[in-house]
Amino acid sequence: MTTLETGTVVGAGLDRVDAPLKVTGSAQYPNDFSLTGMVHAALVGSTIAAGRIRSIDVTRAWAAPGVLAVVTHLNAPKLERGPMTLLGGSPPAPLQDDRILHYGQHIGIVVAESAEQARHAARLVRVEYEPAEALLDVNDPRAEIVENPWGLDTERGDVTAGFARADVVVDEAYTTPDNTNNPLGLMATVASWHGDSLTVHDSTQWPHNVRTSLAGIFKVPESGVRVLAPFVGGGFGAGLRVWSHVILTVLAAREVGRPVKLVLTRPEMFTSVGHRPNSVQQIKIGATRDGDLVAIEHHGISSVAMEDDDYEPVSYCSALGYACPNVLTRDRQARLNIPCPGSMRAPAEGQGNFALESALDEVAHAIGMDPLEIRLRNYAEEHPILGLPWSSKALRECFTEGAERFGWSRRTPEPGSMRDGRWLVGYGLAGVSYPFYQVPCQARASVRHDGSAYVRSAATDIGTGTYTVMTQLAAELLGVDVARVRFDLGDSDMPYAPQAGGSGLTGALGNAVHAACRRLVREFLDVVRDDTESPLHGAALDDVTVTDGRIHRIGDPAQGETYTEILTRHGLEELSADGRSTPPQSEELGMALSGAFGAKFVEVRLDPELGLLRVARVVSAIDGGRILNEKTATSQIIGGTVGGISQAMFEETATDQVTGRIANATFGDYLMPVNADVPDMEVLFVGGPDRATAVGTKGVGEVGLVGLAAAIGNAVFHATGRRIRSLPITIDRLML
Amino acid sequence: MKHMETEAPPTGQSPPDVSQVDITLTVNGTAHRLEIDSRVTLLDALRDHLGLTGAKKGCDQGACGACTVLVDGKRVVSCLALAAQYEDREITTVESLCPSGELHPMQEAFARHDAFQCGYCTPGQIMSAVSLIAEGRANSEEEIREFMSGNICRCGAYPNIRAAIRDVAAGG
Amino acid sequence: MRPFDYVRATDTEQAVAVVSADPHASFLAGGTTQLDLMKDGVLGPERLIDITRLPLAGITHTDTTVRVGALTTMEELAADPVVRERLPFVREALLLGASTQLRNMATIGGNLLQRARCRYFRDPTVAACNKRNPGSGCAAITGIQRMHAILGTSDHCIALHASDVAVPLVALDAVVHVRGANGTRSIPLTQFYLPPGDTPHIENVLQHGELITALEIPLLPETARSHYLKVRDRVSYEFALTSAGVALVIEDGHIQEVRVALGGVGTVPWRAWDAEDVLRGARAGADSFRAAAEAALEGARPLPGTAFKVELAKRTLVRTLETVAGAAS
Repeated sequence: MTTLETGTVVGAGLDRVDAPLKVTGSAQYPNDFSLTGMVHAALVGSTIAAGRIRSIDVTRAWAAPGVLAVVTHLNAPKLERGPMTLLGGSPPAPLQDDRILHYGQHIGIVVAESAEQARHAARLVRVEYEPAEALLDVNDPRAEIVENPWGLDTERGDVTAGFARADVVVDEAYTTPDNTNNPLGLMATVASWHGDSLTVHDSTQWPHNVRTSLAGIFKVPESGVRVLAPFVGGGFGAGLRVWSHVILTVLAAREVGRPVKLVLTRPEMFTSVGHRPNSVQQIKIGATRDGDLVAIEHHGISSVAMEDDDYEPVSYCSALGYACPNVLTRDRQARLNIPCPGSMRAPAEGQGNFALESALDEVAHAIGMDPLEIRLRNYAEEHPILGLPWSSKALRECFTEGAERFGWSRRTPEPGSMRDGRWLVGYGLAGVSYPFYQVPCQARASVRHDGSAYVRSAATDIGTGTYTVMTQLAAELLGVDVARVRFDLGDSDMPYAPQAGGSGLTGALGNAVHAACRRLVREFLDVVRDDTESPLHGAALDDVTVTDGRIHRIGDPAQGETYTEILTRHGLEELSADGRSTPPQSEELGMALSGAFGAKFVEVRLDPELGLLRVARVVSAIDGGRILNEKTATSQIIGGTVGGISQAMFEETATDQVTGRIANATFGDYLMPVNADVPDMEVLFVGGPDRATAVGTKGVGEVGLVGLAAAIGNAVFHATGRRIRSLPITIDRLML
Repeated sequence: MKHMETEAPPTGQSPPDVSQVDITLTVNGTAHRLEIDSRVTLLDALRDHLGLTGAKKGCDQGACGACTVLVDGKRVVSCLALAAQYEDREITTVESLCPSGELHPMQEAFARHDAFQCGYCTPGQIMSAVSLIAEGRANSEEEIREFMSGNICRCGAYPNIRAAIRDVAAGG
Repeated sequence: MRPFDYVRATDTEQAVAVVSADPHASFLAGGTTQLDLMKDGVLGPERLIDITRLPLAGITHTDTTVRVGALTTMEELAADPVVRERLPFVREALLLGASTQLRNMATIGGNLLQRARCRYFRDPTVAACNKRNPGSGCAAITGIQRMHAILGTSDHCIALHASDVAVPLVALDAVVHVRGANGTRSIPLTQFYLPPGDTPHIENVLQHGELITALEIPLLPETARSHYLKVRDRVSYEFALTSAGVALVIEDGHIQEVRVALGGVGTVPWRAWDAEDVLRGARAGADSFRAAAEAALEGARPLPGTAFKVELAKRTLVRTLETVAGAAS
């Protein structure tokens, strides 16, 4: 493995390369595309949560002006369920029978000449149901329980023996509610058939998955399916799967023989594209009087849909976070009549960390120890499950440097002891050990005759900065000015890329781009191997370096030539090379693969009479491995932090009992932070490149969110002496 | 159990099946004649009928600000406006901010401060921010926070949005 | 949204005549409520009479009143110098009431007529809503209630009136001027709204086709001090969980004149007459403030989801009284 040499381009806080498009409104998101002859679709959703459709009358809908097609289970073709993916099974195929499994389930699609006509006609579909009793509560004893759904339950040591020697045991239930991803971009699909060829603009985080799935479902060659997503209006996990509305739009386009556009409504975004499932967690931590953790037992249960999958091992974080000899973690899922949950920014970690890092605070308080000290005292010097050294870990620096920047030492330990006029002041912190994730990825790099570089991969940039950091990386690796590098993504005709998810894309893609660029330089050397006119002839890859559009021998800049000179002399327009990355393996490296680490420090202000809670300051200290662009990485952490504040204080998807209807499926009712809720914040990056990969990054898309809920809850405890164990922490839970 | 159609029930003897309006919208200084369904919102008229897709649809309920445009110099949410109501008014969209290709100072500041991530709310944020300064409401941190709170950014770029606005307000 | 004919009115009398004569016609002003509910499928007018070009905008002043044309926007009214100077709590309620974008669109007339934010009312897939379908029941009473009313409710409806500015306006005894097919009339705002009782679909005393043309706001004595406090989860841009609008004239520590109204708790903008009775003539201080708050919430009928609002509303009122008294002394 050749590790990336430190240059001047990588790491610099370059403005986003796509900024001009975004600030002028000319970036094209899926619902910005209009095709010639395009017509519009609208969905019909179930208004019960369980049962059957007794009858469905589409007469009035069909008769409405402009209507071109109405498809329900009565006239839908048989569709296969999509394939098994890296993330588990595909969602069930829509319209295959009369069964209702959740509120909002798509039971029909209407196509009309205009969007106004389609939406109106969809409301004219009359449905009679035969309702069954719906299971909606994760605690419902009738619900089927899936034990150890991902095989990630862990056990080490002997927790019973551990608790027996504990001086203090905290044993509490923590709960987190349903949250809805709600990217600002309404998810949209524009589908267009030409014979067996299909082009789809889609709000996806994973174009290849959409291509493979649609080819399988519609039984057409994968090579004829093209999926485009150059810009996506956020995702936070909502775009990871090929949801039913995507399939229905493609089906509708085939029915009417014209391009069809479907844009989900905001209420439909609550029932159609996943959500963070609620959890009930029982966590028990035992410690000695000196603050040594002797046992942790963490049981989590989450909700999942009746016939679908979701990955939410909420208790796993307790196995990874600290050096504790006796740990037991157990996860279960309860099958309910709910829209299927799916990944939402920091799935599982976002919920589990709240329980772990809050309970740890309870332990610290019980033994009278500083919350920072207990975390440093139980620092996991090696990977607690594998017993291997970490490929990189600067969590200690996160804690110490973050505490320094925040002024943690000013904290007086007694709850309620800090005040600013009418406002109670609280300080809280939490640690984060984010799990490693990476999957295979490919990229292709070219250098053209004019010396410019073109690099591409079928990845997506959902706001993460992928366009920008990959441009920087390629510029560095090819020695080409960033202004002369174009990085493209969001097209399934490009080399395979995995999903933008799991904080894994930058690592996977970065290392693929690294491989492609290195191979491309070697291609140039191959061209001049026997070219005696070239000062580079006979040079091996390790003999050369690249800068200013030239390859030259290391230590002798005069011994080199430009890409253009080589291409010209050999009559070539361009040279290209493919690169791929595969995830490193712990066993081979003798190191435990590390994800990002972080420490979050929060100051809250609380008006105890009115229950008003304000986040006044946040310091996030992050070990994200190599930071490719300080500006965009900082934005990722800031954005994650806002997501964490939101999880802690605002978000709760409310479900009506009996009907399973989402009771607050609008932006007026489902609260997320507005500008005034968010303080300025500080982000520190500590640590250095990770040792496990060439590029040495560790994804920072999710670590920013995790820990905020616990840090805010801990700060509320510090301000008031009250421990809030249910999210979100709202006025009604805070009035004293 | 029966569920009725969820559209408001027709109440009249002969409710209209189709109703078109013939209007002229003045957008970014150019008059456009449109014959459209009376139901078309100003946002959809801009996006679907005039090809101006800068203004975005984030909620279609007036609650997110992604569709913010200016009408006679004042910011509005174009999703809660019927196009027909806005005939003969001066409508200004994000597309007008850099007619010669040179970024407006607010656009430049958003780029410099990384005041967006996915970029979907950005045209609305920028139109709101331009308006905020025209309203004289960028004088303090408190003012910026309060009067930019009608524009939701789910990616959470708020601190950077404020930094960009502060910069422009200060003449930078 | 159902198809409708769009008609632009050029004459007030004619607009009133058209809507009065057609039960399926509605006025359209700022559109922020009307269009929203039409999209949701809650409203389905067949004819929309756009009144925004009628000469009903503008603010005029006398020594004792501010007269506000019904088409004046929230933003315009908040900017009025007399409102700023003499009616600060009206201005505060306006500015806290919506985003700037919505304030530039929403008219004062429309604001007073805004419909309930109840998600059961606003979702036609919910069968039981007496406000939408008289006699169908109320899903909210057994549903999720955090944003619902605790005062003025009935067994048939608990929907909240969510206007902020209506709170100080009822406190001020503002008067609504309307024009109908049979001429004009004036209605005190305190008598304008109807609690749900067993007819939740009837929200105010207007007849179909009657149009609000203006609002008249009496000024308080120059020595009056006022404040509007809005309590909500977010710092900005959210409907109130509770709010209070208070104006006081205090002399020698005693309350000479008092106006109190509450928001976020009532099925109508809630004038707290009982609280005013407690405060009038009383010494301004913690005891009288708390007693007033107790009196104001005396008749509260909370449900599990709104139980917290009783105490929160009291504290909101006490805090507002403290703030005004602090400024007045």
